[in-house]
Amino acid sequence: MEIGRIKDALEALVIEGEERLDTVVEHVYASDLMSDVLAFGRPNSILLTGLATQQSVISAHMAEFRGVVYVRGKKPKDGSARFAGEHALVLLSTDLDMFEACLRIDAAWRGGLASAQAVTHDARAHDLLLSREFVIAGSDFTNAGMVSTEIKSILRKIGFDPKLVRRVAICTYEGEMNVVMHADNARVTLAVSPQAIDVLIDDEGKGIPDVELALQEGFTTATEEMRAMGFGSGMGLPNIKKNSDELEITSQVGKGTRLQMRFRVNGNPS
Amino acid sequence: MTLRDLIDRLKLKSLSTFDDRDVSGVVVSDMVSDVMAGAKSGNLWLTVQTHKSIVPAANLVDVAAVVVTSGKTVPQETVDLASKYKVAILSSELSTFELVGKLYSLGLGGT
Amino acid sequence: MAGCQHRWEMADVEFGFVAFERCFHCDGLRTFFSPEQAPFLGEEYREGRCFWRRVENAQSLRFSLRCARCGERHTLEELMGLLHCSGCDPACEIDRLRLQAEAAGEWVLVGFGFADKNGAIPIPQAKLEILADYFNQRRAASRPRLRLLSFEQIGELSRCHGDFLHDVGMLSLEPPPPRKSLLVAPAPEPGGRAASNADRENGHDTP
Repeated sequence: MEIGRIKDALEALVIEGEERLDTVVEHVYASDLMSDVLAFGRPNSILLTGLATQQSVISAHMAEFRGVVYVRGKKPKDGSARFAGEHALVLLSTDLDMFEACLRIDAAWRGGLASAQAVTHDARAHDLLLSREFVIAGSDFTNAGMVSTEIKSILRKIGFDPKLVRRVAICTYEGEMNVVMHADNARVTLAVSPQAIDVLIDDEGKGIPDVELALQEGFTTATEEMRAMGFGSGMGLPNIKKNSDELEITSQVGKGTRLQMRFRVNGNPS
Repeated sequence: MTLRDLIDRLKLKSLSTFDDRDVSGVVVSDMVSDVMAGAKSGNLWLTVQTHKSIVPAANLVDVAAVVVTSGKTVPQETVDLASKYKVAILSSELSTFELVGKLYSLGLGGT
Repeated sequence: MAGCQHRWEMADVEFGFVAFERCFHCDGLRTFFSPEQAPFLGEEYREGRCFWRRVENAQSLRFSLRCARCGERHTLEELMGLLHCSGCDPACEIDRLRLQAEAAGEWVLVGFGFADKNGAIPIPQAKLEILADYFNQRRAASRPRLRLLSFEQIGELSRCHGDFLHDVGMLSLEPPPPRKSLLVAPAPEPGGRAASNADRENGHDTP
């Protein structure tokens, strides 16, 4: 989520970093204990704190945070703004207390899914918030991986949990490689709702004669040439099955393969 | 909502001995000075602080309970002092930020 | 105002630091409120025959109390902080009063005044009572009432191991070390310079 949207949600004052409000953060850390921030904070976070001293800015910087929001109307009186400027951190101050600030950011975060560009497309039972389409060309090893990279980037920008994004990226990448190695072309559809991320890879190609066999670890039909390039260790479909929450594979020899993957957004995968 | 309801619904751990009471509102801070200025009687106090001085601080502003977040271990000294003064110390594995969201969805507002 | 049943509120709230400074020459302790934390921990300066070193910047607040009904106002500028008695010395008058209060279903905190090089600055008993009223007015009726005692009743201040209700260690980049009593003079090191929590926190070497 962009820091600018956090600023709006909190009706916050910008103490430093007006020109960096488009910085995207992935996590929120609410704490006044700087040793915790350093020990447990993750990069690309924003810190919410009532501790308006220079050490909170230094700690945020050391933990690779992108900004600090002071709650309860606190404002630093020392060199914090200058330090923040020198290290490209955004400093905000809100009159809200910590509880209210957390709530508003949480609400804005969820609402953010709705404001992402949406193309109405095959709306499912859940509210469709975002839909994108991509194309993969078979045998195009040069561009192999571009689609999964793009999808990963989109999901990270929205602010999904990095572990979830990683699973989607792995599965999409494997699927993309299978298309490049074995198919003529494919259409990839990404559909995002608050409950799930759906990735559909629908290809035209020779198809998979025995899906069950292909799901076994180690099975591969990669050619020598492909294996020389590092592909085709046979981990494709089993890896996709392992990393997705729901998987549907349909295939017809001589026509093509359809890989439908779903990743649930809340809670544990299984 | 009472402390017991909250403990059940959020699977919080009870660490000290205390009497059940109603909860109204939430105060979030690791700074005792902020809590002294901002907390109200009956609030839930969310913090990662575990030093035994949180007990007299909690007692002073009469919070319904201290909820130690982020799975922090609370020293026995703190728990014993809390039980002595019947101050409820609860604990949650969730981070402060996550717990705020859950409390709000249960209908608990700010102070 | 005569006859008003005062209903106290906090007013003029100001967040800042209670500075604790020790003279390593005479072991004197002084405390004062400062909006900022300068000088930083471990910094020393000389004043007359004393060599003061900042041993703690405790985050705290100061405030006045104002009656919501009649507007009567009392500053609490004499109040350095509140301390929880840990019962470390059965011979201490505070401990005796604490046990007495607890037997009567109340509980006790100790109101501290500031200290300068001449010693402790008393805090008016009337202000402690108003402050206790403030807190008692906002607790559930079923909860034990608070009684505030004065630090002047502590037998030997330099031996007190109570806990102040303030914030220390928030800024430490390392997990905060166990709290040492700020009132107890640290044991002298060879060479006459006393170590303190502050040194460890800042990585200072003591000579």
